[in-house]
Order: sequence, then structure tokens, then C-alpha cells
Amino acid sequence: MASFFQLLVSGLATGAIYALIAVGFTLVWQTSQTINFAQGEFVMLPAFFVLAAMNAGAPFWLAAAISIVVSIAVLGVLFKLVVVDPMLKYGVLPLVISTIALSLLLKEGAKEFYSSQAQPFPALVPAADIDILGAVVSTQSLAVLAVAIVTVVALNLLLNRTRLGRQMQATAQNSTLARILGIPVERMVLYTFLINAVLVAIASILISPIYLAKFNNGDTLGLAAFIAAIIGGFNQVRGAILGGVILGVLDNLSAAYISSQYRGAFPLVILIAVILLRPQGLLGRVEERTI
Amino acid sequence: MKWLAAGAAAAAAIFALIAPLLLKPFGIYLISMWAVLTIAALGLNLTLGYAGQVSLAQGAFVGIGAYTVALLTPVGCPFALAFLAAGALCFAVGWVLGYPALRVQHHYLAFVTLAFSTLVFLVLRNEEWLTGGIYGINGVARPSFFGWSTFKALNFYYFSLGMLAVLAAATWWMLRSPWGRAFVALRENPVRALSLGLDTRRYTLMAFAIGSSLGGMAGALYAPLVQFIEPVSFTLGLSFNLLLMVIVGGSGYFFGPFVGALIAVLLPEWMRVAQGYYLIVYAMLVMVMMAFCPSGILGLLERALKAFAPRGKEAAP
Amino acid sequence: MSAVLQVSNLRKSFGGITAVDGVSFEVREGEILGIIGPNGSGKSTLFNCVLGQLSPNGGEVRVDGKPTTGMRPCDLNRLGVSRTFQLLQVFPQLSVRDNLILAGQEHRGTMLSRLIGRADAGLGDAADQMIAFFRLSHLSSAPAGLLSYGQQKLLDAAMAFMAGPRLVLLDEPAGGVNLTMLGHLRERLQAYHAERKATFVVIEHQMEFVMALCTRVLVLAEGRIIAEGAPRDIARNPAVIEAYLGH
Repeated sequence: MASFFQLLVSGLATGAIYALIAVGFTLVWQTSQTINFAQGEFVMLPAFFVLAAMNAGAPFWLAAAISIVVSIAVLGVLFKLVVVDPMLKYGVLPLVISTIALSLLLKEGAKEFYSSQAQPFPALVPAADIDILGAVVSTQSLAVLAVAIVTVVALNLLLNRTRLGRQMQATAQNSTLARILGIPVERMVLYTFLINAVLVAIASILISPIYLAKFNNGDTLGLAAFIAAIIGGFNQVRGAILGGVILGVLDNLSAAYISSQYRGAFPLVILIAVILLRPQGLLGRVEERTI
Repeated sequence: MKWLAAGAAAAAAIFALIAPLLLKPFGIYLISMWAVLTIAALGLNLTLGYAGQVSLAQGAFVGIGAYTVALLTPVGCPFALAFLAAGALCFAVGWVLGYPALRVQHHYLAFVTLAFSTLVFLVLRNEEWLTGGIYGINGVARPSFFGWSTFKALNFYYFSLGMLAVLAAATWWMLRSPWGRAFVALRENPVRALSLGLDTRRYTLMAFAIGSSLGGMAGALYAPLVQFIEPVSFTLGLSFNLLLMVIVGGSGYFFGPFVGALIAVLLPEWMRVAQGYYLIVYAMLVMVMMAFCPSGILGLLERALKAFAPRGKEAAP
Repeated sequence: MSAVLQVSNLRKSFGGITAVDGVSFEVREGEILGIIGPNGSGKSTLFNCVLGQLSPNGGEVRVDGKPTTGMRPCDLNRLGVSRTFQLLQVFPQLSVRDNLILAGQEHRGTMLSRLIGRADAGLGDAADQMIAFFRLSHLSSAPAGLLSYGQQKLLDAAMAFMAGPRLVLLDEPAGGVNLTMLGHLRERLQAYHAERKATFVVIEHQMEFVMALCTRVLVLAEGRIIAEGAPRDIARNPAVIEAYLGH
């Protein structure tokens, strides 16, 4: 049985991926009140873009780049312009329904137009085990951790150290005020969608070697995103990161120590517990009650 | 316009009574399925269309109802009792789920029901000693009432239709009462409703619990209809299907679920040629609908009728 | 005369901005209190804190001596506190009559009794009387969404009165209403006040409306009360004039 340390590291790796997905989800929600129920499928899809590009002859690194670009176009721009914008005038509920339908569409689409079978996906680094402090850790986990950490740090720098990032944060906190201050709110919202597209594409490339590229990956990944975002605090990006990491670690540990039959249940129980005991999440602010 | 609606409903009712006499057994099975799913959709319409909450667990409640009946009737429990037990159990579970979830905003109920749906599937699949696990439960008996057996397809259809009529009437009566007014208020303007003393949380919770209970009762009828139930039938797929039914038919319209369920039952049959694509088409239809007419088919119909009907009396300024 | 509403040291901040900064006042039974002040003085925030729409950061609210700080609006309403809204809030799809029945139905019986009782919760006659009082009888069965702006304002007030409240808080009732309707509205409010000995608190911008309607006026500026007294005295108060002109 894998040592605790090993489980911890691989849990951190999975958690880092969950964090990326949860951050994208939270950002989009914060700036445009869009609860993207298709977030899981957004993570499932880019892997297929990579595979399609590789089938057409591209080497992995090129296919990955192409996939990120296509994701930005489809899951970022197209999604915002075609799905979100026309629906915003009707309120939150129709948009929620629409993203639920979209998740179905993407899932069935991948199944019909690509394959219903799980597809092997190339790993970032050749599989090997490294000895760290007497425990065996896979290079896979380390590579995932490295990429995820770099992405999160880059995102953090973008949001906190650049003018653009601060404008985006202002838009997220109070779009009316931001508009008055002269911030191009519409463009800021578009940027969050683009950022989300990049995050899900990276997450997809990181997780598909482990999960294999399968049309129904979205089910578990989407749920992980929502749970991570809620655990951490729905209105905080830092919370999404924390939630993702906690979820990944707990999920991995529970898989080893709890019966495999109920493996999927642990995150769900955590979700229900959080909503019962601390609905604003670990880092979230208690929201003003308007109802 | 009210007369038009009444007339259409009457015509549909007559059709529902006569049609099965002209259909082959599979056709009768389909419209029985329509009747059962409409009950579940009616419940979801309460939650979504009237209280404005997204529930992704209606399929799970159908499953709970189905398994309740499938487990109780073989040990001698009369069907009527098992049916009521299914409804009561789902009401209680709905209340327990909804109570914490509805204290917060942000559509948390959607996530909680999503998680619950998955949990239910896991339990149904893993607890073989109770539910038969992956292998499901076979040979669910069709009930008899005072010597009249519903074993024959036609009989079971009239039984389901009767149950639909009873439950729809009960729902109609509830919506005619002050509760119905409260639900409209809840949906149209919850802030104002609160300021008038309306406990929006309590009414929303009630709508969700009753809606879930109807899901359970639909499940109680589903089990004897299909006679073999397995966990796979009650996953998120069914919840999505029911959700789309309510949306496409017209959420918030009383007869929306009837229309939506009809489409959901017939669409796969019409699209037999392109078997795998029916869900894709369905999903695209819903997305297009949400962009242009979120109030579904009945909403479209209402708009069309308003455009052609003579204008009503305008209020003098 | 007893205090229907007591606000003590109320404070509310949003991030770094203090909207309400230690406001205290009392509302005596039977009076019509006006609260005025330039834009951004904290009137709406104060209102929303009293009504449970926002949670104050400090201070206390009492209705008839009972602490109600942070109570949910629906519970507060059942204690006898009603309100009207600045931005119109009627239920457009319900008829005028149904709007009024809705406004009163939550005060009768329990949820269960409402389910199995009469469809109009026994309020049909009361609703008709209220409609007649506001001279809207010809519109009784029209969907509220079809009413003119001024008529909807009247309906808004009627809804707030349906449950026979102890205290009514009116949020900018005169906003956007034409002169004729304004006169009618003010006259109806005064008639109701005289008939039922109700207690009103009114937030308003329009000075003439306040002067004509209110018995006492509070002036708010930058989250604090800067003046208080009879309408005529307030109009002449230099501090008040400065607060308005200074903006």
C-alpha cells in the first residue's frame, strides 16, 4: 500500500488540478453571475482537441498549444458570445439551465463524434519514480504540481500586480462601481472567460494522463469544481484554491483508507457538511442577506 | 383565451382516454411511461417553475420511490401503502436536503441535489443486500385493486392515467389556494414577498419537498410499469431528462410538464434513425429555447395567442 | 406617547465606507416622521437596516420595545412593520385584487390553514375595501403590470396597509409621480393616517411633499443626524441648507 506521504503528494497534485478548475469557475461566477454547470465538460473537452490534433500529425507539445488556443476560442469567446450574452437579460435561472443543457451537449457530442471509449493520453513527463526523503514519489505528480503551481502563481501575479488584473478584481467585486470608474466592464468579463478557458485547458492536459480522455470525465470533474469552490468559499478565488487542494488530498486519502465502492461519496459528504455547518465556506465572506 | 385552454385540455383528455384502444402494446407502454413521467415532471415544475429552484435530484427521488415499492410489495405490503410510503419518504428526504441548502443563496440546492443524486446511485449500486446492487430487482408485480388487476398493459395505462389525474387535480387545488399566490410572489419578486410577511424560505422548502414527494410517487408507479428496476435508470441522466422536460414544456405553466413529457417520450422514437443524436438535438433545442423563449412551448403558445387575440382592456391612466 | 420604533446607535459600513454612523432616534405613536438628506447621506441604508434587508454592524433596533435587529423582513412584517419601495414592487402578473390578498394572507392563520382554507384567505372583502379607499375599483381585476406608474404607487401603499400595520415605512413614495397623482397619494396617506391612527416614517427627496405630510423631520447627512424638528424650522435651518447645497 502506498505510503501516506505518497498519497499526500499525489493528492496535492490532483488537488492542484481541482484548484485550477475551481478558480476558473469562481472567477466566471464572480464577474458575470454565470454558474457554469458545464465546467466539468469544459475540462473534458480540450483533451480531445489535443488527441484530434495529434491524430492529424502534430507532436504533443504543438497539439497542446493548439488545444489551448481552440479552447480560448470555443470555451472562452464562443461560449460567452453565443451562450451567456443572449441569456443574461433573462436572469440567472435560464443561464443555469442553458449551461446544464450545454454540459449534456458536450458530453454526448464527445461520445458521438469522437469515441465512447476511454482514450489513452500522453503524459507530460515519462513515468518514473523519484526517491524523496525516503518515500517514493512519481515524476507525474511532481510535474503536475509544478505546472499547476506555476499557473496559479502566474494568475495571482496577473490579478494582483497588473493594472488589468486589478480592474478585473474591481469588476468582480462591484461591476456598477467599476463602470463608474471607467473600467471597460464588458471586456473584463470577456477576459475572465478567456482565463477560464486557459485554466480548463491546462487542467485537462494535466489530468487526462491519469483519468484517460473519456467523454464522461466531466461528471466527476465538474462536481469536484463545484465542491471545491463551495468548500473554499464561493466568492473568493483564494478559497477555490484552498478548496481544490483540500478536496484532492482528502479524496486521495479516502480512496486508500475507505472502501473503494464508496470512494466517490466522500467529497459529496464534505459538500453537504460544509453547506450545513459553514455555508460561506472556509474563506468566504458571509454575504449580505438580501432574501 | 381561457376557453381555448379548457377546450384543448378537454380534447387532450378525450384523446388520452381513447388513444390506447388504437395502439399496439408498445404504444400503450409508451403512453403509460408518459403518464408516469408527467407526475415526476409535475413535481419538478413545482420546484423549478413555481419556486424557482433547480433540483438535479428528481431522478433520484423517482428511484427511491421505485425501490420502496419494489422492496415493500413482495413482503406483503399492499400497494397503496407502499405508494404512500414512497411519497412520504421522499417528502421527508426533500425537507432534510432542502432545509440547510435553502438557507443560503446562490442556487446551492442545485449542487446539493447534484451530490445527493450521485450518493443515491452509489447506495443503490453498492448495498446489494438491500437493493440487489447492479443486478437490480426483477419481477415487480403490478397491483390489483378490489379484484381488478393492472397486469394487462391497457389496465395499467388507465391506472397510471387515473393516478396522474388525481395527483394533477391535487396540485391544481394547491395552486388555487393562497399557497399558489405565494408561489407566484416567490417567483416574481421574493424581496417584496418577504416584506409582506411571506416566509420565502418556508414556501420554497415546501415546494421542493412536495415536488420531491411527487417524484417518489412517480417512481412508485414506474416500478410496476417496467417491472425490472436497476440503479442505472435513476442516475443524473433521468434528473436531466426531467429537468429538460419541464423546461421545454414550459416551466411555471401547469400543463408544461404534460407537453414536455410527451416530447421526451416521443422524441427518441421519432429519432430512431439517429439514435445517439437525440440527446444532442434535445440539448441544443433547450439552449436555443433559453435564448429566445425561456418559457418553453406553452410560453411560445401564449405569446402567439396574445399576438393574434384582440387586445384586452387597457387600464386608464 | 410610547415609542413604536427605537433606533439606537445604528452603524453600517460597506468595506471602508461608513454609510450610517451612529444614528439614534425614536418614532412616537401616531406621528408622521420624515427623514430627508442629500444623496448618499445614508437614508436608504438606514431604512434597509431597520427593515432587516441589511445587517447593521452595530447598534440596535426595537419595535414596541422588542429587539428586532437583524430580524428577517418577513418576521418583522408579522410584528406589524410594513414598507413601500422606491423602485416599484408590485406583482405584475397578479390582479390588483390578488396583490392585496397576497399582502394580507400571510398574517392570517398558519401555513396549513392557508392551504385548506378559502382561496382568498377570507380577505376578499378587506381587499375590495382597500381598493375602494384608493379609488382603484375599476382596475380591481386588471393585472397589476398594466397599471400606470402612479397607480402602481397607490397599489404599493395599499399593499403595505393591508395587514393593518403598527408602523409603515415609506421609501420615496413621491418619486417619479406626476403632480395630480402626487396630490391624490398624499391625500390618501393622510386619510389613512387619520382614520387608523397609523404611524409613518417617510424617506423623501421632494421637500413640498415632506412639508405637507410630515409632523416631524429628521435630517441625515454623511450618515449622521444633523437636525431635527418641525418641518418649517428644518427648512430654515442653516446646517440643513448647507448640507444640501454643499452637495
